[in-house]
Amino acid sequence: MSTPGPAPAVLSAQGVSKAFGAVQALRDVSLDCHAGEIHALVGENGSGKSTLLGIASGFLAPDEGAVAIGGTRLRHGSPAEARRLGVGIAYQDYSHVLDLSVAENLFLAVPDDARPEYGHMAGWAEETLAALDLHVAVTAPVASLSLAERQLLEVAKALLTRPKVLLLDEPTTALGPDAVTHLHALVQEQAQAGVGVLYVSHRLPEVLAVADRVTVLRDGVARGTFETAAVSEADLVALMIGRPLEVAFPERPGQRADAEVLLSVSSLRGERFGPVDLAVRSGEILGIAGAEGNGQVQFLRALAGVERSAGSASCGGKALDTRSPLGPLRAGVVLLSGDRRGEALFPVLSVRANATVQVLRRLARFGFVARRRERRAIDGLVGRLGVRMASAEQPIQSLSGGNQQKVSLMRPFLRGDVKVILAEEPTQGVDVGARFDIYEALRAKADEGVATIVKSSDPIELAGICDRVVVMSRGRIVEEIPRHELGERRIVEAIVGSRGAGEGRSR
Amino acid sequence: MRRGWLPLVLMGALIVALGAYTAAHQSAFLGKENLNALMLEAMPLVLVSIGQMSALLVGGFDLSVGALMTMCVVTASFTMTPSMSGLALFAGALAVVGVGLATGVFNATLIQVLRLPSIIATLGTLSILTGLALLLRSYPSGAINPDVITALTAAVGFVPYAFIGAIVLAVLGDVWLYRSRRGLAVRAVGRDETSARRLGVATRRTVLFAFVACSLMATLGGFYLAAEVQVGSPIIGSQALESIAAAVLGGASLAGGKGSYVGAFLAAFFLTEIDNVLPLFQQPTEYADMAIGLLILLALVLYQAPELISRYRASRQRVEPLAPAQGEEAPAA
Repeated sequence: MSTPGPAPAVLSAQGVSKAFGAVQALRDVSLDCHAGEIHALVGENGSGKSTLLGIASGFLAPDEGAVAIGGTRLRHGSPAEARRLGVGIAYQDYSHVLDLSVAENLFLAVPDDARPEYGHMAGWAEETLAALDLHVAVTAPVASLSLAERQLLEVAKALLTRPKVLLLDEPTTALGPDAVTHLHALVQEQAQAGVGVLYVSHRLPEVLAVADRVTVLRDGVARGTFETAAVSEADLVALMIGRPLEVAFPERPGQRADAEVLLSVSSLRGERFGPVDLAVRSGEILGIAGAEGNGQVQFLRALAGVERSAGSASCGGKALDTRSPLGPLRAGVVLLSGDRRGEALFPVLSVRANATVQVLRRLARFGFVARRRERRAIDGLVGRLGVRMASAEQPIQSLSGGNQQKVSLMRPFLRGDVKVILAEEPTQGVDVGARFDIYEALRAKADEGVATIVKSSDPIELAGICDRVVVMSRGRIVEEIPRHELGERRIVEAIVGSRGAGEGRSR
Repeated sequence: MRRGWLPLVLMGALIVALGAYTAAHQSAFLGKENLNALMLEAMPLVLVSIGQMSALLVGGFDLSVGALMTMCVVTASFTMTPSMSGLALFAGALAVVGVGLATGVFNATLIQVLRLPSIIATLGTLSILTGLALLLRSYPSGAINPDVITALTAAVGFVPYAFIGAIVLAVLGDVWLYRSRRGLAVRAVGRDETSARRLGVATRRTVLFAFVACSLMATLGGFYLAAEVQVGSPIIGSQALESIAAAVLGGASLAGGKGSYVGAFLAAFFLTEIDNVLPLFQQPTEYADMAIGLLILLALVLYQAPELISRYRASRQRVEPLAPAQGEEAPAA
């Protein structure tokens, strides 16, 4: 499969398997990263990349198989040992203590023997970063840095540990083209010095530009390792896609081009996205695709008034007040949060209470909620959405993920005046059987005239239920895929080849 | 760090201001005897507040310190009796320290192993210790060895050695906190445990250390409480909330990662000063509670004012756009 170079494997995973509950995240994955090699790991969202990184860095213990660093087998679940053996990691979501200064963060990151005296920290940090061609105010708190600077700083911290193996998890999500070139130069320099680099990314142009070899993961299984010189983007995409179809999708009625635009967004900006312009018509289901961490979630939450944003949005012709969740709620914009336990539901309250929480005023008589009215309101929906439960009074946390999601979907049905549904990962943690019911419920609301946005990390799902899909990268919409082109391959191609940075420059 | 000096300056100024006002009206206040009494009176709260600061620094609370101090007094009434001397007395003191150490390890275990929130874990410990103390002494009895009390309260001039020792300890603590890697690690854990762990800080050991240190400081405070009441009283340790108040007035953030041992020292001393002064003006001590409550609220507003103002400004401004800075090409349609 690969040429066994003269360099020894600094990172070697042999037959690694890992399951989380019923989900098999990795199945018998083997991978070698040699000294001096840049080895890319690519795959769709949820293909097992992060799990493999977690195991390589000692944070997760494999169920089967083993990982060796520089020939020494990593004991189960010991990040400290991984560090000692020479693993340096740049985390996708960073390891910065935001309130501490840049220098203090660097000071904590370096190994004991490389640490300067406490009093010389600032000068040392400045020199160290200058050597990496990174110029930021070292005494300023990390919180004052831009996202791009934070990302470069994260890589710098990993380099400071003088690793034998450098693990980079999506290191360019916040970087502009110049910064990507800069980062790649740094990484190549490290490789020339004999460091083995495992480079996780979904950006195929960048991967092909910087890596020596590339391993493709799909569904937790390694689909092969290749010399980058010998493969094309199309080859890799072909390996990444093609999961078996597990679930059927509801019928899509023909879209009426004259349908009223219900939700209109104009240059909306937030912490991690923007500016975004978008219009969603009545009856339309719009999908948002993209690799994780490119602003899709923040965009959706900003529309729901949960996250801060600037710019403007309107619903049904009226301006949407997104300064708090109240404005969108009153205007008929409903968010189905992806964090069901934390945000969408009250885990210990009953199914009934969770379903009716937004319409209590209507169900109340003289200020007191009449339980009988509540029950009557939800009874029909329980059957219609196929919620499986023993009683409406059982705590919602005792239901399966799919049934929990169905209960949160009851809310827009109960309200009746909903104009827009914003669904974040509507089938995450939902068993296959319940997915169809959820798709059908979303489609039913769309047929009633609701405009729906679905953010999903599953291209098959988006291709199956949406009338149109937009792809986000680095916080912006970079591509729009019309209905007649929708398909898993088309979406994945758009995600991995996302233009906007890197491409055409570093190659 | 510059903002970090505010609590120290404020507490220092309040101590001096209250002292000067009192001295102007009541000459007895600056008498050596009263100053000596004030310093000794402050010792239990000063010591336990320094301990509480450690717990707050790693983002926790220790509600069990007051009960632990009571337990120490009760233990001492059995293990450090007037009839003892020499080695037996030393062993008795070790037994008291052992109680503190065991409590610290117990708290840390609840927090680290069972992953309980510290406020709940130490609330449990508080109840256990309170019950245990009442079981051992259902009413105040059992004198504490007077030689020990004399030794604890020894002074150079009118300044107790212990008071000097506490100052030195607090200063060294701050130097450690702001001028050493371990101190930095503690502050990092308090602010963001996940990031600290990823940076290679032994976060579990740090939290364990902080809670054991807190209990040991409470134990030291317990010795001085014993010296004050001189008898095994099961109902005297009420310093838990006061020590949190002192730590907060001294600059601790309830979110962890911020604070100063000197600040805790000064604040604890100031709170004791209020208690000490009120009787001189023939005022009921109930005013002290109310004054302390108001002070905490005022101090919190004052300490956080810069942050609140900047947050308010930020909310008024447009949000920072995602800026891959220069050289960005227009996104492909």
